[in-house]
Amino acid sequence: MTTRAEHVIEVEKLTKRYGVLLAVNDISFTVRTGEVFALLGPNGAGKTTTVEIIDTIRTPTSGKVSLLGMDVTKRKHDIVPRIGVLPQGFSSFDRITVRETLQYYARLFCRRNTDVDGLIELVNLKDKTNEHYKNLSGGLQQRLGIAIALVNEPEVVFLDEPTTGLDPRARREVWDVLLGLKKKGTTVFLTTHYMEEAELLADTVAIISKGKIIAMGSPGELIETNVDYLVLTLPFDDGKAFEIVRKMGFEPVHDNHENIKVRVERTDDVQKILNAIKDAGTSLRSLDVRKPNLEEVFLKLTGASLREGPAGGGGAE
Amino acid sequence: MNPRVVGANLVVSIKSFYREKTAMFFTMAFPIILILVFGTIFMDKENVSLRLPVQDLDRTDSSAQLVEALELNGKFQITGVEPGIDATQYAKKYKRNLVLIIPKGYERYLMQRMRGNDLDASVTITYIYDPSSTSVATKMEILNSVFAGINQKMSGKPPFIRSAEKSILTKKYRFIEFFIPGIIAMAVMTASLFGTVNLNTELRQKGVIRKLSTTPITRTDWILANILYQFILAVISTAAMLLVSYAVFHVSLQINAWLPVFIVLDVFAFVGIGMILTRFVREAQSAAAAANAIMFPMMFLSGSFFPIEMMPGFLQTLARILPLYYVNEGLRASMVFVDNMAALRNSAIIGVFAAVVFILGIFATKWEEAK
Repeated sequence: MTTRAEHVIEVEKLTKRYGVLLAVNDISFTVRTGEVFALLGPNGAGKTTTVEIIDTIRTPTSGKVSLLGMDVTKRKHDIVPRIGVLPQGFSSFDRITVRETLQYYARLFCRRNTDVDGLIELVNLKDKTNEHYKNLSGGLQQRLGIAIALVNEPEVVFLDEPTTGLDPRARREVWDVLLGLKKKGTTVFLTTHYMEEAELLADTVAIISKGKIIAMGSPGELIETNVDYLVLTLPFDDGKAFEIVRKMGFEPVHDNHENIKVRVERTDDVQKILNAIKDAGTSLRSLDVRKPNLEEVFLKLTGASLREGPAGGGGAE
Repeated sequence: MNPRVVGANLVVSIKSFYREKTAMFFTMAFPIILILVFGTIFMDKENVSLRLPVQDLDRTDSSAQLVEALELNGKFQITGVEPGIDATQYAKKYKRNLVLIIPKGYERYLMQRMRGNDLDASVTITYIYDPSSTSVATKMEILNSVFAGINQKMSGKPPFIRSAEKSILTKKYRFIEFFIPGIIAMAVMTASLFGTVNLNTELRQKGVIRKLSTTPITRTDWILANILYQFILAVISTAAMLLVSYAVFHVSLQINAWLPVFIVLDVFAFVGIGMILTRFVREAQSAAAAANAIMFPMMFLSGSFFPIEMMPGFLQTLARILPLYYVNEGLRASMVFVDNMAALRNSAIIGVFAAVVFILGIFATKWEEAK
């Protein structure tokens, strides 16, 4: 295309039902050329269904989805050569090497001069070029999957949960690859349930819960507009500090690690709480005050944690 | 259809096959081992050397001549049993199903008869035998006919009824020659059916098919690549089986244009069945079980290992509805009996079957995961 449309993806009133289950419920959004767009939500929120409808794996129940200016339900044939997809739970041929796998996919796209070595370098698999797929660790397999998604020099890349199931180090290595893509200005549509991933990589984040998009914007905007407080974290104690904070009129909660988390409006409040605890003769091992992140935005909007999934949610993804 | 895409899939399939040693074994080595094992078992039976222990109590020139006459018949491998040994005990101890006893006085009675001293003189040759043994009847029949011949000769008159043998076959064929076309048909069936079922269910379960559905490869390219791949495997394994058969058993089989025709039809028929199966049985393991359920009756009932005429009537009727039966019959018609009409008839039947299941298979194969 000589002139690229500003919006590569336009989703309008998209709905997908699986029998009685409403997986995606009337969602609309757009993705700009060159941005990294993240669909953030817990398992079962409808992320994969949404991305698989956009990248032509599934068909919608109703609504209109256009990708690169084409209707996804009508022009799969024209769309497929221009996009790259890393499906959820990606896998490849067990006994085919990294290089052979990339050559194979390049041939499927009928590309004679794909820079296979360049791709291998891009995803840091140079040492594993002649390794069979099944001998690669999960992180390396995902990185190969990303390289495969790039063999046809796609205009849009879809990455469906690229780091799910990876250990923190492998996840970080995948992020490095994705940051490289972002730097090159590739349009990326990403789904994830890792808040850090969305915060680190995305220009725009759409938070999805129970098939609905409940908030959308840059990570900064989302935090700014949705939460206007600081989060004070105190280490777990025998219950005294918790009581003191509660009696002061705040609403402390225990988090996953059984630390005490308190939302405070102003820095003055932090001072007050610390003084009260000190006056009660209780000493603190540590403390942490910070601006909230997307996790808190999600918590505020849905009343549920990203990791645990929304109460009563779930469904096919 | 895109030849480059088909070619790329073919390369991946062949490389995967070559690198997966168990698949290699079951496709290539297993049929060859079957041929070697069964060929060896039945080769012994053809060059029959039936064991025959003989206890010669007479120990004279005449009794030795009798033993020699039995040996010259060519069917027996004769071993002597010492006169002092109890023949029944001997048979039990050495698990012999028949011991022949030439009585003492054999030569004396023979001389009396020959010289005309006593025209009623006769001897009794005793068979100590195990009636529960299957091959003992054959042995006794052969012995009886040898003795009948001797008796006839001694009467001094030419026999009244003579027999002449004329085979309905252009040439006599051995069991191994009957066996090999059956093993070829079976090996191609197994490889095509399992190859298709494994390829489709495994790749679908692993999510490879989902990834492929986001590339320009079409269902036609995919099916075509699989068919070609199965055909290449079938050609290689057939060539290997024939090579072993010629080298080891010196078979005499007709290799003509019918062979590739039946292999192609065999591949199409069972790839088609495989595609239909994978449509309805989605889990890789249960699909393999379903493939086995189709394959085993086919293997044993359609005459791969033995002629269906050996089975009871209702099983013979059943055999005639199994597609592999027609591949077996067709291959045998062309390779053993050199009967072009029969080959044509069988190829027409399996051809129609292959076309139907293959077309159904194409419709049954789905790219998108309809959930």
